[in-house]
Amino acid sequence: MTDKKAPKNNPDIEQTSTCDTTEPSEKNKETESVSPSRRGFIKQMGGLSVASLMGTAALLTHSDDAEANTTWAEWFQGNYRLMTDEEKEQAIARLERRYTSEFGKQVTVDGTPAQEGVLFGYALNIQKCIGCRRCVKACVEENNQSRGDKQEIEWIRVLKMEKGEFTIDKMNDGYPGGYGIQVGGNAYSAAGVVLEGEHYYEPKKVPESDSFYFPIACMQCEKPPCVKVCPVRTTYREPDGIVVVDYNWCIGCRMCIGACPYWARRFNWGEPNLSSKDMNPKTHYLGNRPRMKGVVEKCTFCIQRTRKGRYPACVEVCPVGARKFGNLLDPDSEVRRVLARKRMFRLKADANTYPKFFYFID
Amino acid sequence: MKKYNISAVLIVLILAVVSSASAQEKKVVTKKAAEPQKEVICFESRLGASEVTQREIKPGLPNVKCSPKTGAVLWWGDPYEGTVPMGKMPIKADYSKGVAVVKPRSAKMALLPICGTACHNGTYPPLPKNKRPRKLTMHTDIVPDSLNLQHGRGAIWCLDCHNTKKRNKFVDNFGDEIDFNQPQKLCGKCHGPIYRDWRDGIHGKRIGQWATTGKKRWFVCTECHNPHDVQQGKRNSGFAQLAPEPAPILPKGMKNADHERHHNTDESGQENKGSKQKGH
Amino acid sequence: MRKIIKFTTDYVGYVVKGGPKFYAWLGFLGIFVLFWMYGNYMQWTEGMIVTGLTDQVSWGLYLANFVFLVGVAAGAVTVVFPAYVYKHKALHEVAVLGEMLAIAAVVMCLLFVFNHMGRPDRVWHMLPYIGIFNWPNSMLTWDVLVLSVYLVLNVVGGFYFLYMKYTDQKLNKLFYMPIIYIAIVWALSIHTVTGFLLNTMPARPLWHTGMMPIRFIITAFAAGPSLIIIVFLTIRKNTKLWIKDEAINMLSQIIVWCLGIALFLTLSEVVTDLYHPTEHSAGLEYLMLGHNGLNRLVPWFWSSLAMMVVAFVMLLFPSVRKNHNKLVVACVLAFVGIWIEKGMGLLIPGSIPSPIGEFTEYYPTLLEIFNSIGNWAIGFIVLTVLLKGAIGILLGDIKYAKE
Repeated sequence: MTDKKAPKNNPDIEQTSTCDTTEPSEKNKETESVSPSRRGFIKQMGGLSVASLMGTAALLTHSDDAEANTTWAEWFQGNYRLMTDEEKEQAIARLERRYTSEFGKQVTVDGTPAQEGVLFGYALNIQKCIGCRRCVKACVEENNQSRGDKQEIEWIRVLKMEKGEFTIDKMNDGYPGGYGIQVGGNAYSAAGVVLEGEHYYEPKKVPESDSFYFPIACMQCEKPPCVKVCPVRTTYREPDGIVVVDYNWCIGCRMCIGACPYWARRFNWGEPNLSSKDMNPKTHYLGNRPRMKGVVEKCTFCIQRTRKGRYPACVEVCPVGARKFGNLLDPDSEVRRVLARKRMFRLKADANTYPKFFYFID
Repeated sequence: MKKYNISAVLIVLILAVVSSASAQEKKVVTKKAAEPQKEVICFESRLGASEVTQREIKPGLPNVKCSPKTGAVLWWGDPYEGTVPMGKMPIKADYSKGVAVVKPRSAKMALLPICGTACHNGTYPPLPKNKRPRKLTMHTDIVPDSLNLQHGRGAIWCLDCHNTKKRNKFVDNFGDEIDFNQPQKLCGKCHGPIYRDWRDGIHGKRIGQWATTGKKRWFVCTECHNPHDVQQGKRNSGFAQLAPEPAPILPKGMKNADHERHHNTDESGQENKGSKQKGH
Repeated sequence: MRKIIKFTTDYVGYVVKGGPKFYAWLGFLGIFVLFWMYGNYMQWTEGMIVTGLTDQVSWGLYLANFVFLVGVAAGAVTVVFPAYVYKHKALHEVAVLGEMLAIAAVVMCLLFVFNHMGRPDRVWHMLPYIGIFNWPNSMLTWDVLVLSVYLVLNVVGGFYFLYMKYTDQKLNKLFYMPIIYIAIVWALSIHTVTGFLLNTMPARPLWHTGMMPIRFIITAFAAGPSLIIIVFLTIRKNTKLWIKDEAINMLSQIIVWCLGIALFLTLSEVVTDLYHPTEHSAGLEYLMLGHNGLNRLVPWFWSSLAMMVVAFVMLLFPSVRKNHNKLVVACVLAFVGIWIEKGMGLLIPGSIPSPIGEFTEYYPTLLEIFNSIGNWAIGFIVLTVLLKGAIGILLGDIKYAKE
C-alpha cells in the first residue's frame, strides 16, 4: 500500500456514505471489504486534500452530490490494470450506477478476468467471405459504438479486392518499351488483383463476380505496436491475449492509432452518440461499456461475451461461416483445427506483430 | 425471361423444399409486408431459410437485432431459441464433446408431416419405376427444368436425395430414411471433405459458446445452401448473392469515394436488381 | 534572496512597459489569442470533433506545428553552438537571445501538444509515481522527457546568465558551462527523438526511414536560424541593441549549408522511393502527384520545394546574404518552406493512405486554424516579452541598484 493509492480509494468511501442508489447490499460489501487499517491509513494520507476537492466539486454542482462524487472519483481512479480487486469492484459499481441512470435501463459492467489456460485466436476464411458487412454491423450492435452521421465508429472494415482480367488489348501498354506487360495492382488497371481495396463498395448484391473481400479488424497481436507506444500504458495485452484499452486512463494522444499497421483503432472525436434503445446493457469494463469523448477504442474479441463463454458477435453473424474463434491452447478448438488443416496466413506478417487473427483458405 | 426464372427460383424456391410449405411461407411474408412496424421478421443466414420474429426476452433485451436495410439477423440475444438437440451423428468424433442443437426445419415446413399421407401415401401417385430423370408435373416451382437438374449437373436425380416411399424423409445410401432436420447426413453422402470440416466446426456457421465442450447451435447445410439451386449467379459460390449492409460513412474531408475506381460494373448485382424484392 | 525578488520585480516591471509599437504588436497578437480562446473553448466542450481530423488522418495541423516547433527550439542551438564551441564573439554577445527563442518555441510545442490531446485533463496520468510513465518503451515519453529537460536547461541557463548580468556578477563557469554544453547536445536530442517518434512506426512507411532524424535536424538548423535572423534584424531596427553583422552572417551561412543538405536529403528520398515505387511509396506519390483526383497536398509540396530551392539559390550569393532586405526574403522563404515540408509535406501524408490503403483528404477546420494561429500568437507574445527582458538586461537598462 503506497500513498498514491490513497486518493484513488478515498472518493469511494466518501461516496458510499453520501449516495444511496440502486444496490445497497453491494455497497455494504464494498465498505466492509476495505480493511480497518487500510481505511485508517487512507484517512491519514492525502485523503484530506482529495476529500476537500470533492467537496468543492459537490458544492459547485449543488444539484447532485452523488453524481459529482462519481465524476470526481472516476477522474481520480487509477489504471485498471494496477487496481486492487476492491478498487476494481468500486470502479465497476460506480460505472454501473452511472450507466444505469444515464441509459435508463439496468446496465451491468463485468470485470471477469482472463481464464487460465485460454489464449484467444481467430481465423477467417478469406475464400468464403462474401463482403456482406454483417460482421461490421453486428459488431456495432454488440459493442456500443457511436452511431450516426456525425460520428460513426465501426471496428471492422471490409475491403473489396477486385481481380480484373488479363486482356489482349493491354498487351501494348507495357513499360518500358511498350511490350506486353499487363500492369495490374492499381485502381486504373486491374489485372490479377488490385492492391488497393475498395472501402466504400456498395453493389446491389454481393459477392460480385469479379471480386473477393477482405475483412480487417484488430489482430490482437502478440507483439502489439500500439501497446509499446502508449505513453501511459492504458492499452495493454491481457493474459488471454486480448489487447484492451482502459478508457478511463487514456489521454487521447493517438500514438497507438499511428502505430497500428492494421488501422484497427478508432477515436471518439466527439461525445459518442448512443441511444438508450441501441445500447447493449451487458458490458465489460475493458470491452463494450460506453466510451467518453477523447479516447481510443478497438475490437476486444467481444471480451464481454468471450470471457463468459460466448462467441464474438461477428463470428455468430457471419452468414457463410467464414469466421472461426476459439482457444489457441486447446488442440480441439475450431481455430486450432483450422490452423492444423488449412492453408493460412497472417496479414502483414512482415510487420512482425504476430497476430492471433489468421486468414485461411479451404 | 431467363432472368425472371432464375429470380423466381431464388425467391420462392429457397423458401421451402415442399411446395405446400412454401405456400405457408408466403403467407408469413405477406403478413410482414402488411404490418411491418408491428412484427419484424428477420432471416438468419440466407433469404428463405430460417426466420425469426423479433420480440423482447427481457425488457431492453431483444431475442434478435436485425439490419434495417437488409432484414438480416445481426445479433442473437438467445442463440438457442427454438432449437432441439441435433441428434446422433453417424460417427463418433471430437465434435461430440459439446452440446449440439439445431433449429428444426420440420416446424417451418408445416405440411411436412402430412405430405407423406395426404399426397404421397405410398401408392398414389404411383411410385416411379426407376430413378431416371423424367419431366415433373408437380413441384416445378422448386425444380423448373427437371431434365436439366443443376445439382450434380445431371448426374443425380430427385430420388437420390428424397425417399421414394416416404416423401417427408431423405434417403441414405442404403435406402434408409434420413430426417429432414439432419440434412448433413444426406449431403455428406457426396460432399465428404466438407462434411468432415463441418463436423469439426471449420465449415459452416455456429452460434453459442466457443469452447469445444460448450453448447452450440449448428446451422445445417440447407440453412445456408439451397440444394435445388446450387449455381447461384456468375460467381457460382454455392451461396446465394444477397444485399450487403451499407458502406461506412465517408470520413470528413471526403465528398465521395470516386477515387476508388473499379471496373466490374456489378453485372451480377444488376442481374438480381429487378428480382430482389419480388415476392417479399 | 532580496536580489532575486528585486530581479523579478525589475524584470516584470520592465517587460510590461513599452512604447506604442510594443503595445500595438502585443495587441495585434492578442486578437488571435481571443480567437484561440474561443477555439479552445469549443474544442474543450465539443471534443476534437471540431477539428478536421479523422480516424484515417488522426494527426494533423497541431502535431505538424509541434514537430516544426521542436525544430525551431532545437535550431536555437545554432546561436549557442558557435558562440560557446567556436568562441564566435558576435554570437556570444547575443547567445542568450537564442535561449529565449528556445523557451518560447518549447512553450508553443506544449500548447500544440495540449491541443492535440483528446483528454488534456488526464495529462497527470503521465506523471511518474501518481500515474504511469511508460518509459523507456514509449517514444512519446522520451519526447516528453527531452523536451521538458530542454525547457529547464534553457530557463535555468538563460535566466542564470541574465541574473548574473543584472547583478553584475561573474558567471560561475563550473555551473554555467556544463548547462550550456548539455543544452547543445540536448538540442540535437529533442529533434532526434521527435524524429524517432514518427519513424519508429513501421505502420507508416513514409516516416519509417532512418533519414528522419537527420532530415529533422538539418531542416531545423535551417528554419531555426531563419527565424533568428528575422528576429535579430527586427531587434536591430526597433531597439538599441546592435547585433553585429558577423552574427547574422554566421547564421546565414549555417542556413545555406543546412538548406542545401536538406534539399539533397529530400532528393535522395524521392529517388529512393520513386525509382521503383512500391506500395510503401504511396504516401510520397500522393504528396507529389496526387491519387486518382485527390490532390490536396500537391500544391503544398511543390510550393514548399520551390521556396526552399529559391531560398537556397538566393543564399548561395554572398551579396544576398549581406543585403539584409534580400536576406529577410530568403529567410522567410526558407522558414515557410520548411514549415510546409514538415507539416503538409510530411506529417499529413504519413497518414495517407491509411495502413490499410484508404485515401482520405484532410482539411483543417477554421477552429483548428484559430487554435494553431493562437498558439503561435501566444508563443510570439512569450518571445517578445522574453526578448525584451533579455535585451533590457544586455543593454543595462535594468540593473541591480544597491540602495
